[in-house]
Amino acid sequence: MRTRPMWRTLVLLLTLAMIVAACDSGESVDVEDSDTTTTAPPGSDTTSPGATETTTEQTTPEDDEMVLIAAQGAEPDRLDPHLTSAYASFQVLENVYDTLVQPGPDLQMEPALAESWEISDDNLTWTFTLRDGVTFHNGRDFTAEDVVYSYNRIMDPDVAAANAFRFASIEEVVAVDDRTVEINLSRPTPNLLVNIGAFKGMAIVPQEIVDDGSIDSAPVGTGPFRFVSQSPDQGIVLEANPDYWRADEGLPHLDGIRFVQIPDATVKLTNLQTGEVHWIDGVPPQDLESLEGDSDVVIQRVPGGDYHYFALNQAREPFDNPDVRRAIAMAIDRDVITEAAQFGAATPNQTAIPASNFWATDYAPFTPGDTEGAAALLEEAGVSDLTIEFMVSSEFPETVTQAQVIASQLAEIGVTVEISDVDFGTWLDRQGQGDFDAFMLSWVGNIDPDDFYYAQHHTDGTFNFQGYSNPEVDALLDDARVETDQDARKALYDEAARLIVDDASYTFLYNPENVQAWSPQVEGYEVRGDNAIRFVDTQLAG
Amino acid sequence: MTEAAPERSLDAGEPPVEHRSRLRTTYETIRQNRLAVIGAFFLLVLAVVAVFADLIAPYTINEVNIADRLAAPSLDYLFGTDDLGRDVFSRVIIASRVSLQVGFISVGLAVAIGVPIGLVAGYYGKLTDSILMRAMDVLFSFPAILLAIAILAALGSGITNAMIAIGIVYTPIFARITRGSVLSVKESVFVRAARSLGASDARIIRTHILPNVLAPIIVQTSLSLAFAILAEAALSFLGLGVQPPAPAWGRMLNDAQGFLGSAPWMAIFPGLAILLTVMAFNFLGDGLRDALDPQQRSVIESRGVSK
Amino acid sequence: MTGFVIRRIGQMAIALFGVSIVVFALIHFVPGDPVRIALGTRFDPEIYEALRERAGLNDPILIQYGNWLLAAIQGDLGVSFRSGQPVTGIVLQRLPATMTLAGAALVIALAVSLPLGILSAIRSGSKLDYLATTASQVGVSVPDFWAGIMYILVFSLTLSWLPPSGYTQLSNDPLGWLSHLVLPAFTVGLISGSILFRFVRSAVLEALNQDYVRTARAKGLSQMRVIRDHVLPNAWIPIVTVVGLQLGFLLGGVVVVELIFAWPGLGRLALLAVEDRDFTVLQGTVLYIAFIFLLINLIVDIIYGWLDPRIRYD
Repeated sequence: MRTRPMWRTLVLLLTLAMIVAACDSGESVDVEDSDTTTTAPPGSDTTSPGATETTTEQTTPEDDEMVLIAAQGAEPDRLDPHLTSAYASFQVLENVYDTLVQPGPDLQMEPALAESWEISDDNLTWTFTLRDGVTFHNGRDFTAEDVVYSYNRIMDPDVAAANAFRFASIEEVVAVDDRTVEINLSRPTPNLLVNIGAFKGMAIVPQEIVDDGSIDSAPVGTGPFRFVSQSPDQGIVLEANPDYWRADEGLPHLDGIRFVQIPDATVKLTNLQTGEVHWIDGVPPQDLESLEGDSDVVIQRVPGGDYHYFALNQAREPFDNPDVRRAIAMAIDRDVITEAAQFGAATPNQTAIPASNFWATDYAPFTPGDTEGAAALLEEAGVSDLTIEFMVSSEFPETVTQAQVIASQLAEIGVTVEISDVDFGTWLDRQGQGDFDAFMLSWVGNIDPDDFYYAQHHTDGTFNFQGYSNPEVDALLDDARVETDQDARKALYDEAARLIVDDASYTFLYNPENVQAWSPQVEGYEVRGDNAIRFVDTQLAG
Repeated sequence: MTEAAPERSLDAGEPPVEHRSRLRTTYETIRQNRLAVIGAFFLLVLAVVAVFADLIAPYTINEVNIADRLAAPSLDYLFGTDDLGRDVFSRVIIASRVSLQVGFISVGLAVAIGVPIGLVAGYYGKLTDSILMRAMDVLFSFPAILLAIAILAALGSGITNAMIAIGIVYTPIFARITRGSVLSVKESVFVRAARSLGASDARIIRTHILPNVLAPIIVQTSLSLAFAILAEAALSFLGLGVQPPAPAWGRMLNDAQGFLGSAPWMAIFPGLAILLTVMAFNFLGDGLRDALDPQQRSVIESRGVSK
Repeated sequence: MTGFVIRRIGQMAIALFGVSIVVFALIHFVPGDPVRIALGTRFDPEIYEALRERAGLNDPILIQYGNWLLAAIQGDLGVSFRSGQPVTGIVLQRLPATMTLAGAALVIALAVSLPLGILSAIRSGSKLDYLATTASQVGVSVPDFWAGIMYILVFSLTLSWLPPSGYTQLSNDPLGWLSHLVLPAFTVGLISGSILFRFVRSAVLEALNQDYVRTARAKGLSQMRVIRDHVLPNAWIPIVTVVGLQLGFLLGGVVVVELIFAWPGLGRLALLAVEDRDFTVLQGTVLYIAFIFLLINLIVDIIYGWLDPRIRYD
């Protein structure tokens, strides 16, 4: 018989539990001042005489009144504007960086860091005059050399910037003087302004933060807000830039912004309703109806430029036959697909571009759900017992929903759809290998048609994974690229768009609305057609 | 992990010689058995439902019907409808097939791989034992669900690969339990006798060792079935199991997340189905354990995978 | 004892080495690579190749592993493909959240299972025992993620008592920290508590049936005293083992719960690393989790031996 003092065992048990607690508190303390929390380097402000004190303390600007808490659905991957391609990163960077020109409310390009520009007679030289008195957040003056440095960085093959393709027609960028930049082109580029200013992926960055490697963790730009810190629980903290080049207009109004990440859409909405956040970057479409008349939430819906589509692999039989692709495009009912996936917060469209856009092509050759016509076309093509493997990804849940609706619709013409829901890494890999019957995705952030038509439907397009090749379309897209007369250019794209729809290179489904929501406290914020998130004019009412 | 510690019996069943004890023991036994009977009965019904699911289900399960979407439970739709207007009751019933199938095949796989490893490691000892058990340690020191996710990512989603992944994750448990039992019978009189009579290793393992280690393996099998079903649900919740539109309980829960506020029935019923099925297997497993093998340690080691 | 510890540490090192090989092999079997994922739909073959080359993804696999291993032995776990940040920093940033959740869940589990388990065993067959045992059956059978979803449904969406997800640091906002912690901690803690309950109950029942307990009773010692001096000290030993194992699982195994509650812990980090094919981050995370798991097992074994001197480490 053994007896053992009970305290000893109790102590042991508690010790075990406390190993955890101890580790926890230890780590929490560490995080505050170790480099695991990416805080703006304390030295970054010393060169700036007019700057306020650095906020490296844990007192985030939240203690002040005018700090907007914005909830994003995804986590920014990295903060280097030239290297990231994540929309979540650009939601933040939109407010930190500037480009030479930027899309205005109507998505026409307007001045930003460049005040004005001139185009040479041969359309091969663009000369930009830069704004005076602009400083970076570290206090250094912005000059033409910064433009040259940034553009050369984007074009540097070793840097492998995601947007290098937009600079394909640029031969050289020259700083004529501190205030003047000249861009020399290899071919006329009517959409140059879009190419250098569509979004912050072409931002002007100061060389010093690239050299010291802090660009990914502590970005320094010229925009209305400057970066303070980033941590898993606080999210990304920005504070107002007192030296912003529109400071004389009283901008920005806010004292700061805190971006928090909430992956679940329902949870994000709940956080807005309970007042934990002021603004959210999306609303689940199924909740829109129930939110109408909710005085705690302001919802704005704007026609967006994104489009959802699917593509059939033209390197595989029988999808190499345009009639087969057309039959499938005929059999589906876009109204039902749109209602099922987006609960009406989208507009069905048989082309890529929404009607509200200048570049829209009014063309709708297919009758919705024309199963008879589709069946006849399939029979004519000698195709029966067709099975299509549809590749979708849960990373974009609406594609999984749409695929199930399409499966149900195509069953009516005797076509079997087998859905493969794979993670997006596998999806991209299989797309790249051409290892698919059909894939479904959406394309986001479109301003100029060259952005997507060329990449997706030109024989040499970098995103033409479906293997579409129509010499007529190629010629039209090549011509439109260099056509400087806007109406003539639109005519070319209209013709190409019709051919693309007729050949069902892509089968376009709909354009979703851009939907964002905020608390009634938020004033002066507008949802934009390009889904850029700009808080420069925003205020928070007490 | 705790192999230095002796296997300790945590048996609750040994009757104390005390005046009230017989009554109490009888009560315990009846209660335990009653639960086991309930579990077995539920599983039997479930098996019948799974086999005849097509006949029982009142609706076709994949047809989209937007007009009736997100309908609350009613006489037309017992468990309501989902976001595509499909009958949740029919889908829950059909999905029972997937759960049972994945459960049985994946655990079968784990037994088929883990038991021989445990037998060989335990019987031969020394270097063989070290190598095999270190390999099992490696698999065991992964968070189980992460290992399954990584295997599935490598093999590709789908029901077959989900069974393989879950089977691999459970292999170390069977190897360990078998090895532990082998160690305890290896030096027994009859094994030594057989060896001295010149019986081959294979023969000794087959005729003397295996029959004596079967009990804990059977118990672990029935408990693992419960956890394999939980694991399958977790994987299909993450979109890695059965492919849509085919219904699976975990997948239905995933779909339900976006409609928690407006259509909670989409989340409640598939979850209840998982809970009840897993409970039934646990009841049965507990009953078997009381009857066959009073050592209770197996349950913890297997629980981790559902997380 | 010392020899045992040294040998066990050796075994740990081998297991960690094995884990790193398995992670490496698995992630390279998975289709897709971090560069392709980072580029997403802005795919350009030239940029893709340049980035692969720069990231060292074009090197032979063994070279890639060798490079990683050499650096790892020197304590450098590399940088994330996705964010360009050092892996050690990323992992350490997530560690407090995981520790908090595991610790809170364990506290809940112990608070539920110890008193109920002991009482159930002492009053075996009573109504309380019946209720507690039944509840524990539900607890061990419920899918954790479903329990989490149900809690959100009831306590956040319906009653609006608690935030549905997120994480706040204790030092910044103690009340927010607590309110965010409650739901995930109970989701995990009650399930853990159910498992522990079953063990506490059996262990105490077993101890109650030992000869020396009967002897003590026969000597006329009070029930309280018998339990305090004779039953519990013996029941602790198996309980400590189970608690240790549970803690190990809690630290690495609550992946799906972390996902549902947007809890910025290691499990979710590892899951995202698989999705992003962020090999270095996955390696780092899994190694940390495995290390903690193995370490706890070692500590449990040592405690076990201390509690029960009959156990020999050989």
